[in-house]
Amino acid sequence: MTANKVSVAGMGCVCACGNTAACAFEGALSGNALFALPAGRVESTYTSKYPVFLVPPSEYAQKPADITFSQFFFIKAALQAFEQAGISPQQLNAKRVGVIVGASVHPSFHCFPIYRRWKTDKLLEEDITALRAYLASPLAQWVSRYFGFEGPFQTVATACASGTDAIGLAKNWIETGLCDVVLCGGTDEVTQSPYVGFIRLLVSTAQRCRPFCKTRTGINIGEGAAALLLTNAQTAKQLHLPCQGYVLGYGNACDGFHPTAPDPQGRGLQKALSFALKEAGVRAQEVAFINAHGTASQANDSAESMAFNTILPGVPVWGSKGVTGHTLGAAGAVEAVLTLQALNQQMLPATVGFTTPDEALHLIPTTANTPISARFAVSDSLAFGGCNAAIVLGGKDAA
Amino acid sequence: MLPNLFINGFACLTGDAPLEDFAPFLEVRKLRRAEPISKNVLLCALRALQQAQVPPSAREDMGISLAMGAGALGSTIKFMDSIIEDGDELSSPTAFASSVHNSTALMLSMFLQMHGPCVVTGQLDASFAGALVTAQQFLAKHLCEQVLVVVTEDVNPLLQDVLQKDPHVFDPFLYQPTQKAQRVAAAFVLSAAATQYTQFVLHHLQLASTQAVQTQSELLIPVQSCVHSALLLNHYLQVKEPFHLQEQFAGMLFNVQGEPYVLP
Repeated sequence: MTANKVSVAGMGCVCACGNTAACAFEGALSGNALFALPAGRVESTYTSKYPVFLVPPSEYAQKPADITFSQFFFIKAALQAFEQAGISPQQLNAKRVGVIVGASVHPSFHCFPIYRRWKTDKLLEEDITALRAYLASPLAQWVSRYFGFEGPFQTVATACASGTDAIGLAKNWIETGLCDVVLCGGTDEVTQSPYVGFIRLLVSTAQRCRPFCKTRTGINIGEGAAALLLTNAQTAKQLHLPCQGYVLGYGNACDGFHPTAPDPQGRGLQKALSFALKEAGVRAQEVAFINAHGTASQANDSAESMAFNTILPGVPVWGSKGVTGHTLGAAGAVEAVLTLQALNQQMLPATVGFTTPDEALHLIPTTANTPISARFAVSDSLAFGGCNAAIVLGGKDAA
Repeated sequence: MLPNLFINGFACLTGDAPLEDFAPFLEVRKLRRAEPISKNVLLCALRALQQAQVPPSAREDMGISLAMGAGALGSTIKFMDSIIEDGDELSSPTAFASSVHNSTALMLSMFLQMHGPCVVTGQLDASFAGALVTAQQFLAKHLCEQVLVVVTEDVNPLLQDVLQKDPHVFDPFLYQPTQKAQRVAAAFVLSAAATQYTQFVLHHLQLASTQAVQTQSELLIPVQSCVHSALLLNHYLQVKEPFHLQEQFAGMLFNVQGEPYVLP
């Protein structure tokens, strides 16, 4: 069933639980991650109380001053993806190569320190240079130019569903013949705006998050990036690219319900899941597990449970934000990479943070690292504004 | 195979939507908390849908492809102001929630009762072109039969202030137009097959990155970069003549051709 499907030639990841896709999955299995107060990174009166999941400082010691953390993290992840695929960006020159990157901070007006100086004092000479850099670097276009590509590009800004949308759209770009290869994924960073904003919305917690747990108290934001190099079958064969797995289905639907809460029945998510499964030609009983959005907010985990119990009843659910945090626009991509790692290693990690079943959810996520044998998995994302996205992934043996 | 795009309705708005203009469509009081850019794009969407003769019952599975250059800038600025003026602990959670790109998409899905696919593109001047590519993908993959492509942008007070002092400080990216910058919005109802209300057909849609950044000064993008291409497209549709819209600018190449559609 996967002969003409979109395959993943390489993938990379940088996040709080690891600096490569393999290391991040090790972190998911062990529960080890950098969960700390962000005093060195964020200026806020909350930094003594609300920890977040951070990329270790050693990973960005070489970051140039004129690019954002989001740009730097994504390039790191993308270089890993090329390395795993055994190909350089230059070797793709003869191909139609697209770039799709999901993010939330970078596509916004992310120049708060400059804005503050403009409002309260006066701009510095270097502020003008920084504003020029902002105007010159729409994310996906910048990535495309960085690697010397001349194909289509898109920066997806569908908030916390951006990473999943980026992968789903990349699959579609290949299937519709727009591109032979697409570098896709997501990236995000902890800055003052989302850090303070989520605390003020009363959805952040000062404790480590507990997805789907009765005692859950809220989310921890995080940062990082994940990149996947997708290709059509013909290009993979021509260039002798390896296969790390497949992107088989993509669905997307919106709730139209509330600015910050999902539809309580998860109606938009149900629609997105159904479309993705139908497109993939995968039945619920063939799905090894769902990598849930699982932010550990009351509303998210409740809506997701409703949707899973309706569309994918009985399928094991894994929440990975207990080791990555909620990496916002990167979340869907980070989770897709962890999902492919789990399928390929045939090992489903425990949901770190979960301790006590919530009877109201009718869902108990994974409680221990467990061997699996099925070849398919689902990863989904929910976002502010009621945007829902889901993808169906196949492991490298899914062909 | 990528489909041609049939334009069944379109609308454009410069400046802010007068509240009374919503009266034929919905209860105006429901808009009292909406941000200006959301109201602007909602009015354009309502007019475009009316022109395309899409009844409310047919909107359920319609797609939304929304382009926002720098996101919901007005709310982003309100949130930053609330931190600067009141401190983190009294900053506005409402402004933060509204600053998320999707808040504008929500206005459309909620008021228009649209529950199909929805993707937001945020890449400054290339946002509208990206939204057209996404709409074409929605249609090619049969995620929906019609897509509402919408674009809306606020005015950035910081960039505007800097540009007023030196209109060419950000060459080749932005310049300060002689007229005062205003909010702008536009909406287009697209399908992959002609309907009896189709007015135009678009083909040869292309968005690509290029290695060339420099450009001639007359091609500089005005302070509201995201809506520039949409305004050009709206202009071509208004004059009802075949056109070739081409923008090669600051590392981006955007091409689309179009002609009036005549029912066979």
